[in-house]
Amino acid sequence: MPHREHLLKIGVSGIRGVVGEFLTPALACSFAQAFGTYVGGGRVVLGRDTRTSGEMLTHAVACGLLAAGCEVVEIGILPTPTIMMYVAATHAQGGIALTASHNPPEYNALKLFNAQGLFFNNYERAELLDLYHQSDFHQAANEEISSVIADHDAAPKLHFERVLAHVDAERIRKRKFRVALDAVNGAGAVTTPGFLRDLLGCDLEAISVDPTKVFPREAEPKRETLGAIAALVPRCHREIGFAQDPDGDRLAVIDETGVVLDNDDVLALAVDAALRRLPGDVVVNLTTSSVIDDVAAAHGRRVYRTPVGEANVVETMQAVNAVIGGEGSNGGIIFPAVHLCRDSYTGMAFLLDRMAETGEKISTLAARLPKYYRHYGKVAYQHGRLGPLMQSLETRFPAAEKDRSDGLKLLLPEGWIHVRSSNTEPLLRLAVEAKSQATVEKLYAEVLRLFTNPR
Amino acid sequence: MVREAARSLRISQVGLRGVVGAGMTAAHVLDFASAFGTFLEPGRCVVVGRDPRASGVMVREGVLAALLACGKDVVDLGIAPSPVIQHTIRRLDAGGGISIGASHNAAEWNALKFFGRNAIYLSTAEANELLDIYHLKKFSFVEWNRLGTLTTDEHALDPYLDDLAAVYDFEALRKFRVVVDCCSGTSSLILRRMNDRFGFQFILINEKMRGVAFAHEPATNRDMVALQLAPLMQPLSADAGFLFDADSDRVAFATENGAAISEEMVLPMLADYLLPHGPGRLVITNVSTTALVDEAVARHGGEVVRVAVGRQAAIDALSTYRPEQIAIAGEGTGATMMPQFRFVYDGIASMLALLSMMCERGAKLSQIVASYPRFSILKGQVPLVTHRIPALLASLRERYADGRASVVDGLRVDWPGRWFHVRVSQTEPVVRIICEQRGDVPRELYGTLIELVRSFA
Repeated sequence: MPHREHLLKIGVSGIRGVVGEFLTPALACSFAQAFGTYVGGGRVVLGRDTRTSGEMLTHAVACGLLAAGCEVVEIGILPTPTIMMYVAATHAQGGIALTASHNPPEYNALKLFNAQGLFFNNYERAELLDLYHQSDFHQAANEEISSVIADHDAAPKLHFERVLAHVDAERIRKRKFRVALDAVNGAGAVTTPGFLRDLLGCDLEAISVDPTKVFPREAEPKRETLGAIAALVPRCHREIGFAQDPDGDRLAVIDETGVVLDNDDVLALAVDAALRRLPGDVVVNLTTSSVIDDVAAAHGRRVYRTPVGEANVVETMQAVNAVIGGEGSNGGIIFPAVHLCRDSYTGMAFLLDRMAETGEKISTLAARLPKYYRHYGKVAYQHGRLGPLMQSLETRFPAAEKDRSDGLKLLLPEGWIHVRSSNTEPLLRLAVEAKSQATVEKLYAEVLRLFTNPR
Repeated sequence: MVREAARSLRISQVGLRGVVGAGMTAAHVLDFASAFGTFLEPGRCVVVGRDPRASGVMVREGVLAALLACGKDVVDLGIAPSPVIQHTIRRLDAGGGISIGASHNAAEWNALKFFGRNAIYLSTAEANELLDIYHLKKFSFVEWNRLGTLTTDEHALDPYLDDLAAVYDFEALRKFRVVVDCCSGTSSLILRRMNDRFGFQFILINEKMRGVAFAHEPATNRDMVALQLAPLMQPLSADAGFLFDADSDRVAFATENGAAISEEMVLPMLADYLLPHGPGRLVITNVSTTALVDEAVARHGGEVVRVAVGRQAAIDALSTYRPEQIAIAGEGTGATMMPQFRFVYDGIASMLALLSMMCERGAKLSQIVASYPRFSILKGQVPLVTHRIPALLASLRERYADGRASVVDGLRVDWPGRWFHVRVSQTEPVVRIICEQRGDVPRELYGTLIELVRSFA
């Protein structure tokens, strides 16, 4: 059963799997006890998205944390960035969010945060994993066992105060923007309507804001899954539409005509907004569009490229003290002045602020970006096939500049090609970008051909 | 100390029990509760409550996670006495329940007690099935969209008290001035409510529930009664004094003149009280319980059924009789169960029965106690170090061949007015030794037995 093993994944990215037979309460409890042991006791923050398994896993994780001698601060259903900021602001020893982000509803996962409220870096993850495998957990005795404290209100307030500090909220409120929201019945369902309506003065038309219901669409906010809100925006005369993923870290944007913007362009608009406010460089992953280079260049700033994965982007952002970063294709905007994590709320605030500042429609702002054509694809993948493909590509494009830090990226005069193995699924990911649609399709077909018949 | 604590883990038909951290871990809790969720028939909710131990916070989280993962809807009572948990199971027609708490053990211990349909403890056959599921670790976890839901029930106490009020004459009983040592446990919840709602005059000591250091060991025995409760009786002009364990299923008492009474007296006195009320004629108890039971039961032409020690044997025996055949079942530890309360170990109900007895006889508690012949009992234990228990029992049997031997559980030898019982504990790694005789304390026999058991190391 080659597929079955992927229903549970215990690795450096934590523990993720299909709830029930695979991601069991005992596994979650043990992993949490390993985490509690690793952070050395003290206060640990515990939050979750709206998945049906969230309540069960909250109890399992609380059990493991208490058994390791930690005090548990249970902050309820909240977006991942909100949870991370609360960890940092309350000087907790660490935090755990129960969310499988954009994965389907049968999945769940433990996302692990250190005392700074940041995702565990690769070294922390490896250490924790060793500890988990050794099962050498701290076993608190009766007198060491602490309690579970509930604090459901403080975290969103803290998060939104930080976001609003970086935009002109008064300017946004004055415009009384007509906004649509699709919160996918996720964690955003709890806090996003208040953010847009009460704090940013928007006239809000919201769908999928019931945290007790299941995800009404595929959880990842991308063009193919956003039909409902894309139709709603022009029908209800909205100036912009926002779509979140279940844990509120990713953002997709719909313009007033109902077109779902390219996530790369959304990131480019956010980068532009950030660089207008603060001086510094930009970090994005290898698969993110060249539009970022153009926007950064216009501000005289540099772009650093990293392997795909939020952790990689964040690590480089820390190293170069970047002002903004993100991952284009998946709708992640990272603005460290708010917090060093993907945050859909920063994205929403930035775009509304730019619209208020310029008086332009969102479609106009997007149209002003340099135009690139892209083709992102995936192929069911067998291990061992990436190597021959990389060799063939190098042979086929000998003059190209190469980046081998995550699969292979070839920089050609007419565009670029990036092939890599997915970190989370048994997939080969192919990305091609160029200045014309015809070039993109020609290059993409060439990659597929080399994949099928490597030379 | 560490070694002893590490050996504390006990997984048996009685459930899961151990010193938290050193013996009993979160992983044990998750697996055992998952086994229970798998064991129960689908479709009915499960009631959960705990005693005030600090580790109960952790254990509760694990129990909830496991039951929800098995698709069970859970009704959480928070901190609740075991009899109230059991009453709620019946009231809600639940599929079963779990009481989290190590009742009479010290604060560092914890345990899971399992109840099935109708709030009855699991039979030995059921308990064995549960153990098999636990050991196989093949649990029936449901899919993401069929997980159980969690609700709380803050009002479980009053319906329980309504049932007590239907059996006992609260109007008559509330005139008694009663001092209660709650030993930092859950009984204070019930008794305070009885004061408020029915005008009882319970004076509570050690009533603040504590998670770490209990006021004293929560064991219902004469030494613990003598520690704080008995000396208060005369100064407070009390009619009676009662001591409960942490989850309120056991009771011991002191008389109005300040005498700490052996916990062994509870069962014979209740048998003496209940038998004339009929219809039950049988008293079920174990081979370790005082011979006074036989004398008290004989007064009313009843019959004593003696089974092996432990709740399991009593539960199995109960199931073989019609409820109306039974007057009471119980043990010398102060744990008794009555047919009116559908055979739930309930210290509160036992206390009310003793008060009713005082009422009916118009007698002081000391006078009732004095109406029985005096038996003196000694109980002790020796750490279990030998693997030669059968040889030990055989040698004891040979040495005391002049007595009547019973091997229902370990070895009991009876002489007229005198008996001893040696067996291996089901809950702790010890050999338990009990001997009793009419009149004075059987110190010589007891000493000899302790030596003989020790010599088998």
